[in-house]
Amino acid sequence: MREKVAAQPPDEGGGTRGLPLTRPSGTLSRKGRGGPPSRPRRQTDVETWVAGMITLIARRIATAFMTILAVVVLSGLLVHVVPGDPVTAMMAQSVTASPEVMAEMRSQLGLDLPVWQQVARYAGGVLTGDLGTTIRGNEPVARLLLERLPNTFILAASGLGVALVLGVPLGFIAAINRGRLADTAVMIIAVLGVSIPGFWLGLAMIQIFSLKLGWFPVAGTNARNLVLPALTLGLIYCALVARMTRSALIEILAEDYIRTARARGLREREVLLVHALKPALISIVTVVGLVFAYLMGGQVIIENVFSWNGIGRLAIQAMLQRDYPMIQGFIVVFATSVVVVSMSLDILYGILDPRMRQR
Amino acid sequence: MTALKNMLKMPVAAALLAGTALAAQPAVAAGLTVARSVDADGLDIHKVSTTQSMQVTNLLFDTLLTMDRSGGIHPGLASGYTLSEDGKTYVFTIRDGLKCHDGSAFDAAAVKFNIDRALDPATVSPNASSWGPIDSVAVEGSTVTVTMKSPYGPFTAFLAGMQSGLMCPSSVAGAEFTPIGTGPFKLVSWTRNDRIELAANPDYVNFSPLIENPGKPHLDTLTIMVVPEAVARMAALRSGEVDMVEPSLEEAADLKDDDAFKVYAADLSGQQVFAAFTWKIAPLDNPNVRKAIGMAMNRDAYATIGFEGLVDVANCPVAPNLFATDEEKCASWGVSYDPEAAKALLAEAGYGPDKPLKVKLLVHKLQGWDQMHQIMQQDLAAIGVEAEIETREVAAFFDYMGTVNGKAEGEPAVWTMGMSGADPDYLYFLWKQPGFTNMGLSDTMDAELEAQRALSGDARAAKVQEIQQYLLENAYAVPLVSPGWGWLMASTAKVDGFKMGHMVTLLFNDVTVTE
Repeated sequence: MREKVAAQPPDEGGGTRGLPLTRPSGTLSRKGRGGPPSRPRRQTDVETWVAGMITLIARRIATAFMTILAVVVLSGLLVHVVPGDPVTAMMAQSVTASPEVMAEMRSQLGLDLPVWQQVARYAGGVLTGDLGTTIRGNEPVARLLLERLPNTFILAASGLGVALVLGVPLGFIAAINRGRLADTAVMIIAVLGVSIPGFWLGLAMIQIFSLKLGWFPVAGTNARNLVLPALTLGLIYCALVARMTRSALIEILAEDYIRTARARGLREREVLLVHALKPALISIVTVVGLVFAYLMGGQVIIENVFSWNGIGRLAIQAMLQRDYPMIQGFIVVFATSVVVVSMSLDILYGILDPRMRQR
Repeated sequence: MTALKNMLKMPVAAALLAGTALAAQPAVAAGLTVARSVDADGLDIHKVSTTQSMQVTNLLFDTLLTMDRSGGIHPGLASGYTLSEDGKTYVFTIRDGLKCHDGSAFDAAAVKFNIDRALDPATVSPNASSWGPIDSVAVEGSTVTVTMKSPYGPFTAFLAGMQSGLMCPSSVAGAEFTPIGTGPFKLVSWTRNDRIELAANPDYVNFSPLIENPGKPHLDTLTIMVVPEAVARMAALRSGEVDMVEPSLEEAADLKDDDAFKVYAADLSGQQVFAAFTWKIAPLDNPNVRKAIGMAMNRDAYATIGFEGLVDVANCPVAPNLFATDEEKCASWGVSYDPEAAKALLAEAGYGPDKPLKVKLLVHKLQGWDQMHQIMQQDLAAIGVEAEIETREVAAFFDYMGTVNGKAEGEPAVWTMGMSGADPDYLYFLWKQPGFTNMGLSDTMDAELEAQRALSGDARAAKVQEIQQYLLENAYAVPLVSPGWGWLMASTAKVDGFKMGHMVTLLFNDVTVTE
């Protein structure tokens, strides 16, 4: 993460920083990475940029694909390692099937095959776009997930929004007041945010805002129901955003060009908002990918606490019931979302920071 | 073929009552929202097995027969039945004029459709074996003749239970299954894992003796939500967002004394919680050692402290109120709390302060049970048995028990489990070899369990009791409490008339909501 932090040139020529045509190539600070290439002609510059981007995108997509495939295989093995069998789980406490019927159910579901065959069969299905059907209820996994994916993304995006709106200013305040009271206060909030369990905060929110104040409903999936879970997620993950913003900004504030800007007598406000904030935001973009992955993970629990009808709730239920196709389908969709988001951010980052394309 | 039973016809009085009930209905639509922890797996009665699923299918589908509070069988969609003298042929008379939710008629052919579909190997119905050894099903006019390969005593109890709900054939007419039945409510919409919206069936005619309302439910709509988190469910009840919830045990204990709420505990649950042993592993192969452990168990404390007084101590290997279950007889056959006698039995078997018996206490996590197991551990310590509690999550637990019960050597273990049903025939699924999680006993027991299935009436009752006596006298099972899971509901005080039936069915027919 750290090495991606872009040290932007003290380019007071205006222009859209980072875009190739106005990029004053050769003036980039390339710490320890050899000298700049000789200044190319403009046409070649565009071609290089396009070629660079295509290579970057192709490489990222290939990596993403391999990652998802690895997740499918590994998670397939893992769900079978966890003790407990879906058919026994179904019969616990009201057994209505004879051992023969249970064996028949297992064979119908393919649970009597060796694990590697089950995993291979599943991976084959995923490659052809078939996520199978649930053991409980025999519903297409893909449909159940797709129906809920919008809900999950709405909540994730809202939570991320809250986290950024709260976290970026907090991190900013902490960085410019480094070592002072404000910094300590923000860092205490950050530690709290990292340590408070999401489900606890969620239940506390329900007690306060639903029960005591009666402002928001406890359970459901509509606009008014969105507020509490989004706030809970936002509060938890703003801590992560604040910490990342703080360290990115502190690093940038130590750069030579900031010192230069200050030496040139620019007002501190201008130094911070013009010269420091923009490059800091670029590094925050990459952090967002990381926060998103964490947030999606935490959201599984939050969806359960607030009865939000997303894929996280399907996942928890499926895990208790050992509904293998449902668990694996969730993992595939979850991993794909995280991979796609971080891939998009990588590519976006490549556009924003020209050095990324050359790696 | 002799007619053994010929039961009531649809009473005329009930029809008259229905008229007055309709006239007394308030003009405003009455709705009720219920929050449960888990959703139905499916609404196709031939493919589901969990209580949470059947609590919903039971609102959509009616049964051929019905059961009263003491386990007596009454007419349902069938106005009566006859059983041949050899106990193999049942002839059911299906009522005229039964109407499905979509307006189609429910007739004898629909009954045959259900049985055929439930038994079709392609359906892979978890309940397939509960229908019994059915050989053929024939329809003639309004009668259905079911012929068994061998007599099957539990059949009528099964036909009165929610596992045998009957759907209308139009349920499978489309590309996707649509639950259409004759039950008190019809399905409006279902968002899986979120909520089920139901509307009252205006044409409903009730046959269940547990219900007073002869016709359409007083409620117009019923919403069954899923709120997985117990604290959130209670908050929703307290804030008035929902009218009824499945409370946690602690919350139910609190609400009991609060006038603003009502707590319901299912007394017809058919649930039995019991302790069992890895009896193939020494020294638990010795019945006296098993008895000693049973005598150490202070079941009153489990009921009053562990389960907050919301369950009762139970004495039989199957739940109270089931066919042929006699709590008094069971109490005389089984062990009772007596730590001193327990110590003496252990001493006889060679265990004492110098050589304490060490066992595992294998359990799964469940509210009430966790506290019970801690008290149990203390109880065992009091007679000098060192019990180490090993807790697993439910699916992992039963998986593990399958392994442990299959072994004849290893560490001896005491374990607990619960089982439920509408007929003592669940003994068959548990104890007949190989048995549920390999807990099957012996060839002799297998023969007994088969024998009770082949009998009916008093002869069957005697055989069922014989089996229970054997299990208790040899301390293969130590009955603890009943019920034990998912048996509680709580509502605001404005909800009136809610009942819970056999196997924790939720009965909303008589429910009214006062504002």
